[in-house]
Amino acid sequence: MHRSQKSASLPFIVWMVLFTIVPIILVIVYALQNGGGDFTLQNFVDFADPIYINVLLRSIGIALLCTAVCLLIGYPTAYFLTHKGLDKKGILILLFIIPMWMNFLVRTYAWLTLLESNGLITSTVNAIRHLFGAQDDVRLLYNYGAVLMGMVYNYLPFMILPLYTALDKMDKKVIEAAEDLGATKFQVFVKVVLPLSLPGIASGITMVFMPAVTTFVISRLLGGAQFKLFGDLIEQQFLFTGDWNFGSAMSLVMMALLLISMGLMNRFGDREGGGIL
Amino acid sequence: MKNAKKERNVFARIYLALVLLFLYLPILTLTVFSFNASKSRAVWGGFSLKWYISLFEDTDILQALYVTLGVAILSAIISTVIGTLGAIGFSSMNRGQKALWLNVANLNMLTPDIVTGVSLMILFIFCKLNLGFFTMLLAHVSFNIPYVMFSVLPKLKQMNAHAYEAAMDLGASPAQALVKIVIPEIMPGIISGAILAFTLSLDDFVISFFTTSEVQNLSTLIYSMAKLGINPTINALSTLMFIAVLSLLLVLNRRSALVERKKPQHHHHTTA
Amino acid sequence: MSVVESEHLIDLVDLSKSYDGGETGALKNLNLYIRKKEFVTLLGPSGCGKTTTLRLIAGFETPTTGKVFFDGVDVTDVPPHKRRVNTVFQKYALFTHLNVYENIAFGLRLKKEPQNKVDAKVKQMLHLVGLNGFEKRRVDTLSGGQQQRVAIARALANEPEVLLLDEPLGALDLKLRKEMQVELKKMQQELGITFLYVTHDQEEALTMSDTIVVMKDGLVQQIGTPTDIYNEPKNAFVAAFIGESNILRGTMLKDELVNFDGHDFVCVDKGFGENKPVDVVIRPEDLKVSEPADGQITGVVQSVVFKGVHYEMMIASNGFVWKVHSTLCREVGDTVGLSVIPFDIHIMKPTLNETPKEA
Repeated sequence: MHRSQKSASLPFIVWMVLFTIVPIILVIVYALQNGGGDFTLQNFVDFADPIYINVLLRSIGIALLCTAVCLLIGYPTAYFLTHKGLDKKGILILLFIIPMWMNFLVRTYAWLTLLESNGLITSTVNAIRHLFGAQDDVRLLYNYGAVLMGMVYNYLPFMILPLYTALDKMDKKVIEAAEDLGATKFQVFVKVVLPLSLPGIASGITMVFMPAVTTFVISRLLGGAQFKLFGDLIEQQFLFTGDWNFGSAMSLVMMALLLISMGLMNRFGDREGGGIL
Repeated sequence: MKNAKKERNVFARIYLALVLLFLYLPILTLTVFSFNASKSRAVWGGFSLKWYISLFEDTDILQALYVTLGVAILSAIISTVIGTLGAIGFSSMNRGQKALWLNVANLNMLTPDIVTGVSLMILFIFCKLNLGFFTMLLAHVSFNIPYVMFSVLPKLKQMNAHAYEAAMDLGASPAQALVKIVIPEIMPGIISGAILAFTLSLDDFVISFFTTSEVQNLSTLIYSMAKLGINPTINALSTLMFIAVLSLLLVLNRRSALVERKKPQHHHHTTA
Repeated sequence: MSVVESEHLIDLVDLSKSYDGGETGALKNLNLYIRKKEFVTLLGPSGCGKTTTLRLIAGFETPTTGKVFFDGVDVTDVPPHKRRVNTVFQKYALFTHLNVYENIAFGLRLKKEPQNKVDAKVKQMLHLVGLNGFEKRRVDTLSGGQQQRVAIARALANEPEVLLLDEPLGALDLKLRKEMQVELKKMQQELGITFLYVTHDQEEALTMSDTIVVMKDGLVQQIGTPTDIYNEPKNAFVAAFIGESNILRGTMLKDELVNFDGHDFVCVDKGFGENKPVDVVIRPEDLKVSEPADGQITGVVQSVVFKGVHYEMMIASNGFVWKVHSTLCREVGDTVGLSVIPFDIHIMKPTLNETPKEA
């Protein structure tokens, strides 16, 4: 009877082998070959070029900045959401979750329409500037700020949700206990609430940083052709340059980057007790 | 003391309202301007449904809609079957095997979309498959399976360890026990897994982008249109997609709220 | 205990079961028969193999070696759904997606019984377990005791020849447990079927069983009626596990004469040889408290606890602290005499180092 149950996993195993393991092996194989199919490490040596390293660093930089901004906006949001006084709390939380379920392209496109030269925000900003005597028009699209804005907008809900989960499941008696022992509101927050929510912070950081550091859509739509991130490089190698070997090597670098930062975050989250799952 | 609390609450409300404004303003603007008679994105030129009309006259968009729904429905069904069976089979694996396949599933989920996309593209081209509906479907099933599995596994864990044995004890064959007891007991997990798979498929852009060429779904279509510039038809399309997801979520939320209400005294009784 | 072969309903022959994980729950060469209409209890501490035995009979596990016979027919390889036994599981294992009615009707529906027969049977079962009118209730809205009753009704609806019960009362509170003990025994007698009951609670076993099988570390320690097991424990483990006991080392000087706690005592046991070490077991209620001069042993009262029916006193003699149950109360510090009649001195082969920590 146990054997028949175990064979239920067979389609799953076959699928995972064919469409998860084999593709990754193919990427590894391509990354270690030159165009002629010979073994080489040249692809990785090529990647060490300052041009690419700068793009890599820029990607990491903007993803970190985006994560920090999301954390700064998201933490108070999650914290206030756990307040008892709020009415219709269920609907309120749903309102913060809904944007997560909206098509990613639509969310990015929305900012495109707001920030392009005739867009609502750009027009408004320019109208105000003209009131104060400015002659020129500002351009809000196709720059670093636009990309950062798009990222924060896209990934903010992914920060709020784990933070909310961590804060909400916290035993409120712990806070009362701290107050009972003489802690001020501020001390309660710094010494009790914040440490207890660290696993939520870790998971929020992971959920924002990972997609932010790998995106190519936001940079393409809001950053324009000149503003390149790591994801754009990989996309280019596969769809324009056609250098699969170099593209595969870069994909592996990206995987390594992600697995390392994930490992760091996991250790951090675990050490501080629990983890939100 | 009371006043301080009240003030804090007011501050909290204002803060939450501002964040919500930030989250919804872009969508609302998009929606409002989808009804704009003029092509401007800043000036209101009167109410009009012309972008919606052009939307439904555009065969490319309709085609993409069918592809999106087709891939989402089929991949949800296939991945739900494979993921659920996979989770059920896990329970009779030994610890080592289980850990191995759980890690593979985790690897699948943790791989960045862009790497999943290019690696599947390499595989499909390597196997001489034409990139299109079929390859996109294969790709969507692949990234959906782990999500289904991880929604079903906790339900299996929650299920009384002896329910399967109890069914056989009462005369059910292993197959009957699976169909009549195990599947119904874990049904909530299966359903939420299927819905998750469906929405993930609807939402996906990156993996679809690399695993299809001629055949477009809505995401890849919006991308190629947006690269060419703003087109109010996309506003209309986005609005409809937003409304569709919103209704789906509301229906689901209502449903789960109903289920919760159906068994309100559960805890009272068992802990009494 | 000579029993005619045909009376055996279940025979377990040389049954062994080993697990990769280690000793817990393993079974070593078990031989046991169960007669028709008998209430048999497998009693022992956790990990002694009692649940494994039950699962081998139900068919959820296959033995490493040995055979299971049912009415003389080898059923070792018959899958659980084809065996004529039904199980009441430890945590009930009710089907939460089905209501009370459908839980009880589950086995009948599998047998494709006609609806009117199912109706009648479910009704009869609900009546039997005292849950009339509960048909439409969701099982997760029931209390623990009610869920337990549904589990019993569900198993009995299939009209098994043997009902297997795996610590069915473990999750209930004390009062409910006592009530259910009486009810289960009554049900078993009314239905006239065999019950095989697994528990670690000696009091439960003594109350309900016709036969008790005491197990430890996958081995049977003793099989007998509750009276036998209580009055004539075969070894120190059984003595300590069933009821309260004073267990101490002694020396068998010759037949019917034993030395322990520094004195010689006349007893009724023979055949241990001469000057051989033995374990001596004396129940607390068998020790008589008297004036120091009238006792076989003298000791000083160390503590007195009122237990309702009797006082429990700890009395220290030369080399041993005796637990004594008496209706007479003595003060702490009093010197008293203790005596015991030969019949109440139980001599057994020495296994003292293996006794459980707590009886």
